[in-house]
Amino acid sequence: MSGRDLSRRAFLHGLGLGGAVIATGAYGVSITGPPAGASPTRHAGDLGDPRRGRTLVVLELAGGNDGLNTVVPMNDGTYHDLRPTLGVADAIDVDGEIGLHPELARLAQRYADDQVAIVEGLGYPEPDLSHFGSIAIWWSARGGAGRTGWLGAYLDGTVGFDDPLAAIGIGPSPSPALTGRSSFATTIADGSGLEPRTPTWLGSTETLLDQWADTAGPVRDASTLTEQVSRAVGLTVAARTDLARSLTGASRYDDEAQATGPRAYQDRTATESLALAAELTRSPNPPAVIYISGVGDYDTHQGQAERHPALLADVDAGIDGFFSALGERGRDAVIMTASEFGRRPGENGSGTDHGTANEHFLIGPNVRGGRYGERPSLSALDRGGNLVHTADFRSLYATVLEGWLDVDAEDLLGGDFERFEALR
Amino acid sequence: MIPLVSVSERERISHVLRRLSLGAHPTVVAGLPDVDAALARALDLSPPPATVPLGTPPTAVDAQRPIEIVGTIGWWLDQMRTPDRMVEERLVWFWHDHFATSIAKVRVPYLMAQQHATIRAHATGSFSDLLHAIAKDPAMLLYLDGVTNAVGSINENFGRECLELFTLGIGGGYTQQDVVEASRAFSGWAIHIPGRPSARLGDLGVAPWQSTMIRRRHDQGTKQLLGSAGAFDLDGAIDVILSRPATARFIAGKLHRELVGLDADDATAQRLGRAFRRDWSIMGLVEAIVDDPAFTSDAAVRARVRTPVEKLVGILQAAGNPPLDLTSVTRPGVGGDPARRSAAGVASALRSIGFIPFVPPNVGGFAGGAGLLGPHQLVHTIDLLQALSTPPPVPDDPADLLARFGLFDVSRATRDVVGRERDPGRRFALVALSPEFAVT
Repeated sequence: MSGRDLSRRAFLHGLGLGGAVIATGAYGVSITGPPAGASPTRHAGDLGDPRRGRTLVVLELAGGNDGLNTVVPMNDGTYHDLRPTLGVADAIDVDGEIGLHPELARLAQRYADDQVAIVEGLGYPEPDLSHFGSIAIWWSARGGAGRTGWLGAYLDGTVGFDDPLAAIGIGPSPSPALTGRSSFATTIADGSGLEPRTPTWLGSTETLLDQWADTAGPVRDASTLTEQVSRAVGLTVAARTDLARSLTGASRYDDEAQATGPRAYQDRTATESLALAAELTRSPNPPAVIYISGVGDYDTHQGQAERHPALLADVDAGIDGFFSALGERGRDAVIMTASEFGRRPGENGSGTDHGTANEHFLIGPNVRGGRYGERPSLSALDRGGNLVHTADFRSLYATVLEGWLDVDAEDLLGGDFERFEALR
Repeated sequence: MIPLVSVSERERISHVLRRLSLGAHPTVVAGLPDVDAALARALDLSPPPATVPLGTPPTAVDAQRPIEIVGTIGWWLDQMRTPDRMVEERLVWFWHDHFATSIAKVRVPYLMAQQHATIRAHATGSFSDLLHAIAKDPAMLLYLDGVTNAVGSINENFGRECLELFTLGIGGGYTQQDVVEASRAFSGWAIHIPGRPSARLGDLGVAPWQSTMIRRRHDQGTKQLLGSAGAFDLDGAIDVILSRPATARFIAGKLHRELVGLDADDATAQRLGRAFRRDWSIMGLVEAIVDDPAFTSDAAVRARVRTPVEKLVGILQAAGNPPLDLTSVTRPGVGGDPARRSAAGVASALRSIGFIPFVPPNVGGFAGGAGLLGPHQLVHTIDLLQALSTPPPVPDDPADLLARFGLFDVSRATRDVVGRERDPGRRFALVALSPEFAVT
């Protein structure tokens, strides 16, 4: 990062949050700092510098988004048989075969403008129907628990500890997808970034934060949890000033409204989080990766007819708001969706249970629009009544790692996965 | 991991109270001579149990707003910082996190308070009783869609999470077919909700906000569950699940991690699980865990990340336990009201880091470990100081101040920074921010 002198780089280098800390993620699945030898050791720079000026925004739809009602096989009679009450009858026809849910009107327009790739049939062998098991597989891109996150591995091999703002998580807690062994990502919950809100009796926090960094001291070898916390404190105080420059205050924070308003206990929306992502993307020093989590409950076992359209409307508004806010700078961003699984094709009465293969999106002016992969057949479901995947989800990762972030995906993903030619 | 300096007796006493309750209780620590006395004090269940204030049952779903749950949160925080029945508070928190249920979906504060009372009633009793009660608990039936699970339209939500998160655990030896079979056994439950069609349950003698099984909605067929066959209903299925050794092992291992801060080795997990299965005594399990030297070992001290709720309790205790009136946030806005402002500040800080009692992020429970060490979570520790609407009393001697936070062994860096600061309020804040207070 510009403006950081060598001693600070040296200080930060090698001071990660890996080690023995148990990372219980938002889903309670542990992606622990792996025991030595569990995954390849990477050093900052091994994979080159991050391609700055380009941002990958991952939008995690937690709970398992219903891909079948998102990208609808309109003309497939089996679909309507399996979904007698929840089937979408008025999808927006995009190519005569599939249609997007009517709440995705702006995304459909963007598809017509050739800026949306629909990637179909994504999954993995022996699908895990547990939220926690399956999202751990998506986060790690490898076997699940006990590994680094796929983007944490990317950070390990590019910036290491030198740049805590190369990747920014937006969500209530750090995403295990961003957890590396020897790197550090910043997570923020809202537009207040890393600015504390203090009681009046405390006065200014400016020097307080410097003193805070002093309690952390220079940590060289973090062998205890307290030392690992100290390291995180040092990196946090270092990241704070630069982050404040990136956040223009467009998404300010109202304590009382957040605490007591009608949505007091509801998740943040995709629209709010994507607005914050746009603010970061158009800043002078945009992060290479933004990972959005905690934006709604897609686990629609019940009440799907009301809940799912509202969730998709939020996503549609959020994506549109993101690219509108960026204007020309939208060229520098690609949004990718992620979710632990799709939902069961057969409905359960008022919703759908956990499924397997799913539909995902890549969105942005530099996306080569169209459909990629192969739609799983609704007439050849597995024993549990679920779709059989046609492409590995890591193909989506390989596509953005190589096509957008310019790093060797095979090294990061531990395998050679098909790449879709979906990026310009 | 070998600490640089061995742990002092004071720190170890503080450790015992921090782990077996939710705070260090500085006034209690000061009077305890040794670790054995600390263990006896923390495990003492002779004071009378607290009664959850349920209030009047609401007359309809929207007669209460979700925000009104702050009344129960505030009452609960008061229990956490009271030094009576300390271990009960740790266990109540543990079971709330284990059987995670959120007001965000349940919507009715009365139902959350009622579930809290159920958890409190069994927290130190029998795990079998607790599990049977939670499976029929109305808030849980709403949260995991038990009320829409009926014969012919089986909903797998509770069935799967029950096996995966509440009993056997991931890798506990169940299949997708077991999820389906358990869900069939769990089918047919309904809640008497005033003002809704289900209020007709009143005619059957079911009180408002209570649950019951309706036979014609229940799948009465034979189920093949975990290798046993029978026409199991909810209680029958739970007994089958309890009979699997994996259940006792999973719960014992999880409580070991909660109390000791470290994973039990295989032999310990087996031993704890075998004993636990005999009578499902939760206190028996707690005692077996704390009797193991691992509990007070150097490696266990400060091996956990302190949760935001534990930080809040610690800050309030360090400040001499001033009142925190969270219910003030439900009153119409009075901009200048300091109690309201400080309550709103605390509520919003806990919200932005996803750590409010009764609002777990999902059925997996609250974040822990590195999931609590995001930069914003570290920074928002400052926000929690808003719980103190006036400056706290701060002793002149830094060691006395650290002791109020239950901290005895601290690094030179922390001691120096705190010692150099002249302003008492800032000195207090620097201890609350110290790396030592971020762990427990």
